[in-house]
Amino acid sequence: MKRYLQQSLEHIFKNNKQWALSKKGADPAFFEKLAAGQSPNYLYIGCSDSRVPANEIMGLEAGEVFVHRNIANLVPNVDLNVMSVINYAVRHLQVKHIIVCGHYNCGGVKAALTPADLGLLNPWLRNIRDVYRLHEKELDGITDESSRYNRLIELNVMESCRNIIKTAAVQQSYQDHQYPIVHGWVFDLGDGLLKDLNIDFEGMLEDVKKIYCLSSSPNRE
Amino acid sequence: MAVARLAPRPGFLSRATSAAWDISSRRPAVPCLSIRVTRSPFSTSSPLSCASHKSTTAQPPSNANANSNTAAKTDSASSSTDRYASCMKLNQEWAAQTARDHPDLFPTLATGQKPQILWIGCSDSRCPETTLLGMQPGDVFVHRNIANVLHPGDLSSSAVIEYAVAHLGVNHVILCGHTACGGVAAALGNKQLGILDPWLLPLRQVRERNLALLESLSPQEAALKLVELNVREGLNVIKQKGAVLDAIEKRGLQVHGMIYDVGSGALRELNTEDSEEAIKARLSAFKTEA
Repeated sequence: MKRYLQQSLEHIFKNNKQWALSKKGADPAFFEKLAAGQSPNYLYIGCSDSRVPANEIMGLEAGEVFVHRNIANLVPNVDLNVMSVINYAVRHLQVKHIIVCGHYNCGGVKAALTPADLGLLNPWLRNIRDVYRLHEKELDGITDESSRYNRLIELNVMESCRNIIKTAAVQQSYQDHQYPIVHGWVFDLGDGLLKDLNIDFEGMLEDVKKIYCLSSSPNRE
Repeated sequence: MAVARLAPRPGFLSRATSAAWDISSRRPAVPCLSIRVTRSPFSTSSPLSCASHKSTTAQPPSNANANSNTAAKTDSASSSTDRYASCMKLNQEWAAQTARDHPDLFPTLATGQKPQILWIGCSDSRCPETTLLGMQPGDVFVHRNIANVLHPGDLSSSAVIEYAVAHLGVNHVILCGHTACGGVAAALGNKQLGILDPWLLPLRQVRERNLALLESLSPQEAALKLVELNVREGLNVIKQKGAVLDAIEKRGLQVHGMIYDVGSGALRELNTEDSEEAIKARLSAFKTEA
């Protein structure tokens, strides 16, 4: 077992060297430019799931997308981890787009629909149950189980978008610069394609601001 | 915070027509030499000068910290639409190419995941884990946050580690820091950063505990040292978790500390072997039974 583990680790370093060499071959200044700093246009918030690597599915290079990944692409209002990422990306990197990307066949969403005690995963996954509760009527109206599950995955993405729009950083930046714009996507593991949920960003922002408006606060966190 | 500014990025649409899009195709940045800027607290070019608020002339154009309140105004919602559309196109090209190169991949992915590696790294755009590891979708389970900091009580990273180790059964956990880390640079400065302050607090604790060492080093060396110390600190947090200790004991889970060099693309592993005494103390304090 130990030998097998060691081999798989050697594999990692070999692959990494190959990748670095091929990048340098194609553009000798590739890493030099990266060493100078980052200026990504995108913040991507997605699932930790190994099948959904951000740069690959977006066809982007190193340096182009700032990434946060957690279980089931959640943006809980009190999660300091994701809130720090949003704050840094908006205030300091001034990203132009924030993308929340869910995916069908999400194990996290499935687990949240299972009547089982999952220990320390419970409080995290409870956020997904809350999304179900907010859209109970619509979801209960879908008789096909897998369609209902897929719809919850989409609604969960939209809820994360809404939570991003509640932040002072996003509201103030949009007021001052007309960016970032928040998008909701779902990735389909079966064909590798992204589906744009076409959320109405302006409409959602207006909606959210009725109660959560922080844009005129002089306190810039 | 006004910083040096890049030119608006070239139209994504033109990029999308080239499958082998290359970073070198970026249009050279427009110099904006007249702009006075304040150094960002996250600037990694001279980490220990972060605390200073003095204005400085804009750096020559580079990929560095492209932010501006003036030029960026042109980069608003309307031009964003084009970029957004091309993003979808790049995805379609990737999906088609991947299906051609690996016809079995997507049908396999749809049935489930069995990654061997959990990667915990920085959100920094220059550190795309699956890409730099030369791996495929399905290979690496991922958590990325600001400065790859691990707080013991953080539910987000705790849930990721629990799920990856106890449910997916990964064989390796990699905690990876990187050179030129903005979060580390900020923690070596003394500027208030609002909500980021509590997040970066563990970095400052490490700074406090190693103050003499860090102050004896050059700014660049100190930044790199703090990157390393932060990884070592995070490894401790990982190895204090019941699920991890259990998996180490029962199935030989390996926990690795690494540093990725954004200036060369190379990954290097830190020697993180614990003394027998340290392992014993850790097990006494943190090993729990059902």
